[in-house]
Amino acid sequence: MNADIDNKIIELIKKNEKISNSEISGILGIPEDEVAQRIERFSDKRSKILLVDDEIDTLLPLKRSLEVEDYIVVGAGNGLEALIKAKTEIPDIILLDLMMPEMDGYEVCEKLKKDPITKNIPVIILTAKDAVRDKVKGLDIGADDYVTKPFNLNELKARVKSVLRRTKN
Amino acid sequence: MRLRSELIIFFLIISVVPLSAVVYISYEYSKLAIRESVMSNLLGATDNTGNVIDNWMDARKDDIRVISQSVTLTTEKERFKEFLDTFEREHRGVYREFYTLDLNGNIIFSNIYRTGNERTETYFIEASKGKISISDVYKSNTEDAPEIIITNPVRKNGEIVGVFAARISLESLYRIIENIDIGKSGEVFIVNQKGDIIFHENQSLILLNNIDNNFAVREVTYEKNGINEYVNYKGENVLGSYYWLPLYRWGLIAEKNIDEAYAGALILGQVMVGISILAVMGVVFLALVVSSNITRPVKSLEDGALGMLRGNFKTIPVSSKNEIGRLTEIFNSTASELLDIRKKLEMKIDVANKDLEIKNKELTAANEELKKLDELKSDFLSLVSHELKTPLSSMKISAEYLESDANIVPADRKEILQIILRNIDRQTRLINDILDLSKIEAGKTELKLDIIGIRKIADASFENIKQVALKKNISIIMDVPDDLSPVMADMEKLIIVVNNLFENALKFTPAGGSIILSAKEDADGIEVNMKDTGIGIEKEKLEKIFDKFYQVDSSSRRKTGGCGLGLSISSGIIRAHGSVIQVESEPGKGSTFSFKLKKG
Repeated sequence: MNADIDNKIIELIKKNEKISNSEISGILGIPEDEVAQRIERFSDKRSKILLVDDEIDTLLPLKRSLEVEDYIVVGAGNGLEALIKAKTEIPDIILLDLMMPEMDGYEVCEKLKKDPITKNIPVIILTAKDAVRDKVKGLDIGADDYVTKPFNLNELKARVKSVLRRTKN
Repeated sequence: MRLRSELIIFFLIISVVPLSAVVYISYEYSKLAIRESVMSNLLGATDNTGNVIDNWMDARKDDIRVISQSVTLTTEKERFKEFLDTFEREHRGVYREFYTLDLNGNIIFSNIYRTGNERTETYFIEASKGKISISDVYKSNTEDAPEIIITNPVRKNGEIVGVFAARISLESLYRIIENIDIGKSGEVFIVNQKGDIIFHENQSLILLNNIDNNFAVREVTYEKNGINEYVNYKGENVLGSYYWLPLYRWGLIAEKNIDEAYAGALILGQVMVGISILAVMGVVFLALVVSSNITRPVKSLEDGALGMLRGNFKTIPVSSKNEIGRLTEIFNSTASELLDIRKKLEMKIDVANKDLEIKNKELTAANEELKKLDELKSDFLSLVSHELKTPLSSMKISAEYLESDANIVPADRKEILQIILRNIDRQTRLINDILDLSKIEAGKTELKLDIIGIRKIADASFENIKQVALKKNISIIMDVPDDLSPVMADMEKLIIVVNNLFENALKFTPAGGSIILSAKEDADGIEVNMKDTGIGIEKEKLEKIFDKFYQVDSSSRRKTGGCGLGLSISSGIIRAHGSVIQVESEPGKGSTFSFKLKKG
């Protein structure tokens, strides 16, 4: 629904560039505040990162660190949440932990790559699993990069940047 | 080459060669014998003919002598004629004329009243000199048959006064000669010294044909006798016998066609060739029979051997008692032995195969087990590394974050620092657990044994977990009487055990459930039971739950926390106290863990 409304707003603006927020509000039947918020959000040029980790103690400092680098960071505490947020938020990149209860990172990655909406979003796997076969498996199912924990924050940032550069091109 | 063909050729060679030799030699010998017989036949013919001529001529000469003695030249002509006529009649046409001549050759008297003078004739001259004489054969003017004239002197008182002559037809002689048997193709003829035919069965040839180009005629006119092969006046190959009769100057020749003469030999030869062919056919037939007698069992042996190659161990009927028969018997016994061996081998192979199958299954099972263990190990390793690295990772990210940005608001800073501290605790706990376990495993656990009451331990543990139980809405029932006998145990470690059991029970018991901790005393000691209404454990997993790092459900680990060391540690502690932790469980209904401690 959210994405639908965004699309409708974009169509209206495309038809008439000088359309005002109140006019859009009138046509779509939503508050003028929300229209302004939405326009602000999808006109944000910053890259959006979906950060998936069940360890809140990892998720939080990482989120803060990435926000410092001027990324929009959306967090997800499990696989299911990650799949939903990947579709609604359409992030530019997903940082995915492997060992999570209920649905592990491999499964999440496979589902993302099968879904036409999310299949082009690059995925970097973040995990404590450092066996070669785990890395190979991760890359096989479509991950774009693989970083083992504990990692150097700067290294992670550099990798994120590099993957984003690659996919944007 | 096939055995049968070889045998047939062999038989042909050993039969045909001597047979041909025998046939050839017999043929040559019989040909010779036949030639001999033909020759003697011819010689006989000429002899007979000669004898016939001699006899006949002698009879004529006798006639003439007798008559000429009774002849008077001049007187009683009529009586004389009558006598002669009678004589002639008696001889049925042999004599054609009787007549007398005077010494000048004038015919004085003829019974047919002929006149004339014959003084130049040799027969007259010779007779007038006192000798009986025979003329050459000539052809009469009046009769068909050739004639001769025999003359004899007529004497009176010892003096020759005239000549008596008789003209004689040779017809009766010819008839006698014609009747002499000389064989089918035989031919007898007589020539005079000039080579003229004077006798032949074909009368028309007489005195008309000169055949002195004939070898036999030439020889006989040279007054020679003999027998030979030559080409006769007809151009035929003949065997001829020739004989000179000097008295009459006649050459007697008997001929026989050589092909016909040897016809017997030819027939004999044909018969022999026929017999040979029959013999050869017989030999071939015999060879076929013999060779088939030899080759049939050999062929069936060959078939049997081929069959054996293809694994068909059929016995072959034994058709004889000779070497081949014995070979067949040996073959049959070999085949049955081989079959036996094969059956035994097959049985052995079957047994071996079954063994192998069983071993294979065992190996596969063992392999599966190993694979599971390997997976378990890998899972466990990644689990441990995850467990160890996750707090480290959190601490590192947090510290780096704090370090990177000086403008962090105090509330955030506090939150991040709390994360760091929490994870340090978590790490410490985990490391302590692992160290405890390795101590227990190495048998280095040192128990600080005291005489203590179970109730005290139960209460201490309850204090530790009651908040969690309350939060999860699980009721804890304590059934540990005060008056239980004390036990000899390490209090701190026993609290760890009961704590672990409580924690596990809480983890796997859903909200609203209950946990009963009870203890009772009997003669052996104090038995402690922890009963929950949790999800229970499947039977096949019961044995493994005390293995270190074992998780009934590896995915449950993140739900429930912990890294599978609690039960291992607890079990190790109880074992150090000389006892074991027992477990009973029913999936869906709950589990009961129990251990027994000796009284102090």
